[in-house]
Amino acid sequence: MLDTLLSGQLLFAAAVLGALYALIGLGLNLVYGTMRLLNIAHGDFLMLGAYGAFWWFTLTGISPLIALPLIAAGGAGIGLALYALVFRKQLATGLAPAVIEARSLLLFFGVSVVIQNVTALLFSATPRAYRHLDTVYQIGQTAMTGNRIASLLVALAILGGVLVFLNRTLFGLEIKALIQHREAARIVGINVSRVQIVAIALGFGSAAIAGGLLSMTEQVTPFMGFRFTIAAFVVIIMGGLGNILGGIVAGFLLAVIEIYAVTLFSAEARSILIYGAFVAILLISPQGLLGRARR
Amino acid sequence: MATDRNRQAMRRILLPLLLTLAGAALLYGGGLRAGPYWQVVALTLAMWIALIQSWSIFSGLTGYVSLGHAVAYGLGAYLMATQFRDYPVWVLIPAGGALAGLFALIVAIPVLRIRGPYFVILTFGLAELVKFALLRLETALGASSRLLFGAPGTTTLLAWMVALAAAATLLRHFVGLSRFGRGLIAIREDETAAETLGVPVTRFKVLAFALSAVIPGMVGAVMALRSTYFEVLQVFSPTISFTIVTMAIIGGSGDARGPVLGALFLVGLSELLRGASPQLYLILLGLCLIAFVLFAPNGLSGLLDRRRK
Repeated sequence: MLDTLLSGQLLFAAAVLGALYALIGLGLNLVYGTMRLLNIAHGDFLMLGAYGAFWWFTLTGISPLIALPLIAAGGAGIGLALYALVFRKQLATGLAPAVIEARSLLLFFGVSVVIQNVTALLFSATPRAYRHLDTVYQIGQTAMTGNRIASLLVALAILGGVLVFLNRTLFGLEIKALIQHREAARIVGINVSRVQIVAIALGFGSAAIAGGLLSMTEQVTPFMGFRFTIAAFVVIIMGGLGNILGGIVAGFLLAVIEIYAVTLFSAEARSILIYGAFVAILLISPQGLLGRARR
Repeated sequence: MATDRNRQAMRRILLPLLLTLAGAALLYGGGLRAGPYWQVVALTLAMWIALIQSWSIFSGLTGYVSLGHAVAYGLGAYLMATQFRDYPVWVLIPAGGALAGLFALIVAIPVLRIRGPYFVILTFGLAELVKFALLRLETALGASSRLLFGAPGTTTLLAWMVALAAAATLLRHFVGLSRFGRGLIAIREDETAAETLGVPVTRFKVLAFALSAVIPGMVGAVMALRSTYFEVLQVFSPTISFTIVTMAIIGGSGDARGPVLGALFLVGLSELLRGASPQLYLILLGLCLIAFVLFAPNGLSGLLDRRRK
């Protein structure tokens, strides 16, 4: 038993899932942190990215990894269109953050219903999948498929890239400043709407990339996103809302918990566990477990 | 002075009472006369009115948006489905309401400490947790779905459901007029200020939360008789909670008219699109929700008020 638990196999599975959770948590965090928008359609952008990758591969036969920049641009484009059409006015009304949060939740719920059903109407609700890079590599006792290795490496590279961008460039620091203190950021001369546009592009783009990576290993359906929306919320609440590094750590933590729970109990335990963790975290500490939320 | 008070009593008490009864009579009588198809439509309409009015007692008045009311509905349905063979229906329907109310009372105390959007996602998470936990329980019991034999016919169910809708409407209206309701509105406007002014904030919130779960529990029990089979995933579906919120936003939850308007609007829309694909209906539903939140956050009843002014 202990052998199974300490095996590289489980750790590898947790790492692959964790990198994806960290990536979608990061996107949700950027959008929430800079604009106080509670994006419950986040998982649906992941779903769109997954469909993008599926159709790209099915139609061209070229690896979806090549198309990731295109997929990211698509996600970012839809996000920016939503921002321009729906959210810019809401943000400019000067309403209290609590009101904006509540309204954005309802608006994104509407967006989520529309995205899911338009997708179902266009592509039908039939699950789709494709085989790509599914060679098995054996390293020691651990068997890994190529697509999982690729997914892990790409997700880690993007996480690293975004962290460097946020901590080492002036623009990234402006985003972090806006997350930490909106009014102070405005006073020191940060162009808030420009920062918000970049945060939207990064947030929605990274969700679409996560979907593209996921499509290599999981079936694609119009309603697949929901699970990941919830996971993303667990991750960012666990890591502290707006706390980028905390969210990344929480992403890997959630994946470890999930993978081990499924192994120890059953696949059905997964949902109980994720929602249980979600409820428990909100009740115990809505400020996040890994440090205070940055307001 | 006296006539003034009379007129006010007329407007606030007698008129809503008469309107509700007239509406109920119209819904029931119309449903009976118009044949089986319209009976089902009337039943659906009455169901949503009962659910949204109850939801609005808590969420409309306090501003705490609950995305968990499917649990109340589901618990009522679950009780009916599991006990139908052993107990008479007239015991099980009120018992379903009591079970839902009791459950709400128990979870209310920890849950209502959380405010704002976190409350919304918390109620949602809690509802999903209950759903999956019950699913696991049912799987362990080896009962993946349950059948109900010998349930009452549509006309009987329609009568009960219309009665529940009328009761929920009157409850919503009179709670809104009461001291209790004023206290809940004060919580919505500014919870801290309300507390300072002596509103027993926690007690009122917990009470309203429990009260708003009772009728949905009874509705769930009646609907279990209607569908004659029970499946956890269907009855505890988050779609029920989401539809309640969407209808309430579209109708407006400032008073007891809004939920009726919202239910009429969406049931009408779904009837119009009956031949079309269900996806189209949901797409329009989503677009309506977005449009109302952006352009008419007080819903249809808010629009009516604005026109009158």
